[in-house]
Amino acid sequence: MSTLLDDIKKAVREGEEDTVKDLVSSALAEKIQPRTILEQAMMPAMQEIGEQFSRSEAFISELLCAAEAMHAGIEILKPHFTGAIKNKGRVILGTVEGDIHTIGKNLVKICLESAGYEVLDIGENINAQAFAEAYIREKPDVLGMSALLSTTAVYMKDAIKAVRAVDPAARIIVGGAPITRAFADQIGASGYALNAFDSIQLVSRLLK
Amino acid sequence: MAKMNGKERMLMALSCGQPDRVPVWELAFNEESIIKIARLFTDDVPPVKLVHQMDLNERIRLLDTLYMIARKLELDGLTSIHLFNTLAIDDEHIRDDWGRVYFVGKEGEAIPVQGPVSEPGDLKNLKIVHPLEQEFMMLMLSIDRLGKDVAHVFHINGPFRESWAMLGSIEKLLYYYKKKPGLARDLARIGTEYVLESVDKAADLGADAIALVSDLAFNQSTMMSPAHYEEFLLPYHVEINALAHKRGMKVIKHSDGNLWPIMDKMVESGFDGMHPIQPQCMDIAQVKAKYGGRCCLLGNIDCEQLLPFGSEEEVDTTVKETIAAAAPGGGYIISSSNTVHPGCKGENYVALVKAARKYGTYPIQIDA
Repeated sequence: MSTLLDDIKKAVREGEEDTVKDLVSSALAEKIQPRTILEQAMMPAMQEIGEQFSRSEAFISELLCAAEAMHAGIEILKPHFTGAIKNKGRVILGTVEGDIHTIGKNLVKICLESAGYEVLDIGENINAQAFAEAYIREKPDVLGMSALLSTTAVYMKDAIKAVRAVDPAARIIVGGAPITRAFADQIGASGYALNAFDSIQLVSRLLK
Repeated sequence: MAKMNGKERMLMALSCGQPDRVPVWELAFNEESIIKIARLFTDDVPPVKLVHQMDLNERIRLLDTLYMIARKLELDGLTSIHLFNTLAIDDEHIRDDWGRVYFVGKEGEAIPVQGPVSEPGDLKNLKIVHPLEQEFMMLMLSIDRLGKDVAHVFHINGPFRESWAMLGSIEKLLYYYKKKPGLARDLARIGTEYVLESVDKAADLGADAIALVSDLAFNQSTMMSPAHYEEFLLPYHVEINALAHKRGMKVIKHSDGNLWPIMDKMVESGFDGMHPIQPQCMDIAQVKAKYGGRCCLLGNIDCEQLLPFGSEEEVDTTVKETIAAAAPGGGYIISSSNTVHPGCKGENYVALVKAARKYGTYPIQIDA
């Protein structure tokens, strides 16, 4: 059993989508529990690639391919779960008004999903009101805002204000190239992550 | 040392030499930034409007305002932008001749969001586009208005940007580097051909240098691995640099972010200058120590926090410290750490230029 799980882990890490599908099917045929496959092979693989990424030993291509491979494996697993796949919490992510850069937000999504969170991407160029409406509609445990430009990062303050008007205790995290911890504190964010991988720890801490 | 003109200063610095003083240049000023700075000199300024919404006369008026700033501040070089032929789709989106759709933000930057290619088969139907004469209008006007005593730099998107714009997504291209390398190479080839034609055209019109613009990195690291850089970008950079040099022009590579993983290869490819040595992730003193004498350094004055939110005194201090770290021996051109975007205070940009003149005369006499 451990060899098969090791092989799945390796295939996810290397972004080998087709191999992952085959190996996950073989594992299910050998009566390995779907949760075991997910939690002992696929999630640790993403954890490893995420850690390598945060140390600049892996790059965006590797992270994207590993995420694709993991999703491919999850599609095979899904029908075998008796209930819904339990997640650690619900996060919504969006890029702020005037900014349509996607890459930072998408990397955070990959990292959080691979760590077991349900992530809803509400897109780019999201203004304060739309963040507040999404918060009311989706009732997330954490709301994340991304900005790549210093000209758009300033809109985070308005967006945080709008969400806090709905729920003063809302957990709101911010990130992006121009964002610093001092800026995050200044605009009233609940937390800030330096990079995509660090967002896992941040969300985990906020949900404790 | 005899007083040099702006062009001599810029070219000397780009050759890693020591001019009479540190040259002052910018990669770009956005429309609103031009108006904000111009208001410090005159009330006769055009209304704020984005270039793609302007007719020809409005464009010329905005550019004449920029030239007035360049004269008042005695800028040593000016960048002319490739004004792509585009069609407005709605208030926020435009389409170019390749069929690429861009979102245009409030600050004027056009970002590709949709491309004509998603599968290798799409290349067969791709209509190849060539640079048009009228797209070089700013370069022609800049040379006409400012003359040849300043260095004229022409802004060209690099092969990475040209490639991902065809797909409408950086992530797609990075994914294809691993999953569809043949398509990634084809896109790099198509993009490079367009860049080479643009380089030739800019040389014909009298440009002194090319700014090859596309971000290859973010704050943490490069977007692509060093191996992918060597496979999908390095050969094309070598080709572009070789043509520009053959045509008598220098090449400045612009990329935000932490470029350390690929710096050796980029310098080896023949770039004359590296811009903007983003202060959040690259220490200019370290870059100078490693590459000084082989590659000119440009930029490093923070436009994320300092120019938008800092005071003129803080700008003065940063300029002084940056000149002390990067300018001794030559091979440094001062500029913001990206562009003078609308968030920057006009007063702070003027403070940058003034401080560069105050501290930038060679030999540099500032204690590091």
